[in-house]
Amino acid sequence: MGKEEQSKGVKRGISRRMFLRGTAGSIAGALAASGPGKFMTQGMFAPRLIRQNNTVIFAIQSFAHEAIQSVLPQFEADTGLTVQLEGGPVTGNEMLTAYSPAFASGTSPVDLFSDADDSSPTFMGAGWVKPLNEIIPQETWDDFPPSMQDHIRGFLSIDDVPYRIPHEFAVGYFFSRQDWLSERGLTVPTTWDELVEVGKEVTDSANGVWGTTDALIKPALLYVYVAYLAVQAGGKVFEFDDGTAQALQFLYDMIHTHKIFPEESLNQDYTAQNALYMSDKVWFMRQWPFFQGVAEGNAEWYAPEKLIISLPPAGPLGSKSWIGGWGYSIPTYAPNPDGAAALIQYLTSNAVASQLAAQQGFLLTPRYSILEAMADTGDELITAMGLYAENDVFAPRAFHPRVAEAQTVVDDMASLFLTKQASLSEVLEQGKQLIAALDQ
Amino acid sequence: MAAQSRAAQPPGRFSRLTLRQRFYIVAVLLLLPAVALRVFTAFYPFLQTAYLSLHKYNPAFDHDGPVFVGLNNFTRIGSDPVVQASIGFTLLFVLGATFFQLTLGLAVAHLLNAAFRLRYLARALVLIPWAIPMAVAALGFRWMFDDQFGIIPDLLRTLTGANVRWLIDPNNAKLAVVSVAVWKSTPFVALVLLAGLQGIGRDLYEAARVDGANAWTCLFYITIPMLLPILITTGMFMIVWQLAVFDLPFLMTGGGPGFSTTVIAQKIYLESNSLNYGYAASISMVLVGIVALVGAVGLYLFRRFDVSA
Repeated sequence: MGKEEQSKGVKRGISRRMFLRGTAGSIAGALAASGPGKFMTQGMFAPRLIRQNNTVIFAIQSFAHEAIQSVLPQFEADTGLTVQLEGGPVTGNEMLTAYSPAFASGTSPVDLFSDADDSSPTFMGAGWVKPLNEIIPQETWDDFPPSMQDHIRGFLSIDDVPYRIPHEFAVGYFFSRQDWLSERGLTVPTTWDELVEVGKEVTDSANGVWGTTDALIKPALLYVYVAYLAVQAGGKVFEFDDGTAQALQFLYDMIHTHKIFPEESLNQDYTAQNALYMSDKVWFMRQWPFFQGVAEGNAEWYAPEKLIISLPPAGPLGSKSWIGGWGYSIPTYAPNPDGAAALIQYLTSNAVASQLAAQQGFLLTPRYSILEAMADTGDELITAMGLYAENDVFAPRAFHPRVAEAQTVVDDMASLFLTKQASLSEVLEQGKQLIAALDQ
Repeated sequence: MAAQSRAAQPPGRFSRLTLRQRFYIVAVLLLLPAVALRVFTAFYPFLQTAYLSLHKYNPAFDHDGPVFVGLNNFTRIGSDPVVQASIGFTLLFVLGATFFQLTLGLAVAHLLNAAFRLRYLARALVLIPWAIPMAVAALGFRWMFDDQFGIIPDLLRTLTGANVRWLIDPNNAKLAVVSVAVWKSTPFVALVLLAGLQGIGRDLYEAARVDGANAWTCLFYITIPMLLPILITTGMFMIVWQLAVFDLPFLMTGGGPGFSTTVIAQKIYLESNSLNYGYAASISMVLVGIVALVGAVGLYLFRRFDVSA
């Protein structure tokens, strides 16, 4: 039998041509079935875009999910929409890493998200989040007190157009061990001088007991404390001015000269700081509001007199603490912008915001409606908010268009000075130069 | 019938080609996926990075797209203290870690090459540090070196009375980071060198001993020369691999104190994370230059010692 006859006699299952035709037909069919226009323009992101638009994807840190879920049934019943909660990044830097690639390519994996102070200016500047002035009713904006209005105008807006609405009110509170102070006949320090004086009296470094401490590890945490001291000194931290110099010198002195502040704090995060306080090693310290919940959760250790919130010790400008916090934003390329708008209106409405605030400190702000709803609850944080508001403690967070980078500069410069790698004048000079380079 | 009708059809275009032409077409088709992969994952990103390194571009602020700035980004690198410090520490990290990985790796390989009971178990156990994910190791050692809660400062205090602050002293922090890198990768180097040691004939050592050679003489005149190809290859591999280190120092020290343990890759990450794509690209090009330089030195050493023979 010749080759020709052999080839005639063999029955092939599928020819090459048929295979290619079939493959091409399948791809064309899939494109046609799933919206060829969107596929052509959005490529791999299309599956998210072509999903049913009755779903709203909302990203927020997972510890807030329980509170959010408690108010969603009403929203879903009213609108017919389904809300899908996703865990969100926990820092501004992570936020930039997680969302920038998608936003820069004209897509968004979420419809609504909780955004940080550090990342928000970048997203706003790039036009990657939607203006909220026409989405959020004026009644809601008016519900914020003047101290927060300044923050909204300065940090959450461009040309007075808001792009983010706060759901958290982060302020550094000054916690102290009233039980120990009373026992020793001492009072909570009210000025920087008293902080040093009392600190020296109570510090027992041989046994690891310190007047005060904070979390000063890089990245970002050292900035928080330096900025806290800088507002008390009347400094503008991104300008490396005289007030900032006073703040850096005061922190240096607490650590190296007066030795009331452990040097190890330079490698300490919030978990370690809290652990130190709750292992009875610290007399007083600045910490974010979440510490109240952490301490109360430590039932074996907690007692109200161990955790009294007082006014921050006053620096040259007075008793100050800067405010910041997370807020809701809608990505410009949100797949379901109408659903996102409906959800943000619902979550920030006076009634629902109060319900959320009662359940989760991350969703608590000093809005009039919230303070009114929680007035009789005896909540320590609400009481502290009132105390700080009465004494004009709240100061706006220092703003820079490239805030994450500017904070890194402060972090680096402060770390160089506090670890004795550079003098104060050197870090001030270098800090100014690095900030100037950001502005170019 | 169907087969007959197909045979009756005129031959297709492919059938009209010569055997050589068909061979080239098939070869191109077979190579195409690999070439496309390299083009899209290596050549295109490299060209794009080179292009961006000559531009100022941050999509959040430069709404009109990249602006050509010539060599300005590279000039800025020359005056950026963070980049300069990061280049210094990266070189210290890479050279220090590689030296100790090779030295200790050779020692461990010798131990594992000796005849003793349970040596196969010992070889498996030695590999444990290498098998631990870098992020886990970095976070674990961050706590172990912690000056308040860490076991390492505590042991040192208890045993020697020395109160060493590891992660808040710039020099100690550098030492701590390099030590962890050595701990982590020495087993890998030891395993590679063990394979080389097993390839050296015993008769060489026996002949040397007959001539009166001791252990050190054998090491320097037999073992190391015979292992030189593997030592240079492994050393080059470790250097190039560790030049792009990021996870260990970032998670262990955050690059601090100050920026004493900041590596080049971390600086690139920080800049690209801030969307400064132009500046990040220019620092990346500097890293490419360093890797190319190290590669050239490696090639020179290969030829100098004729290790390919």
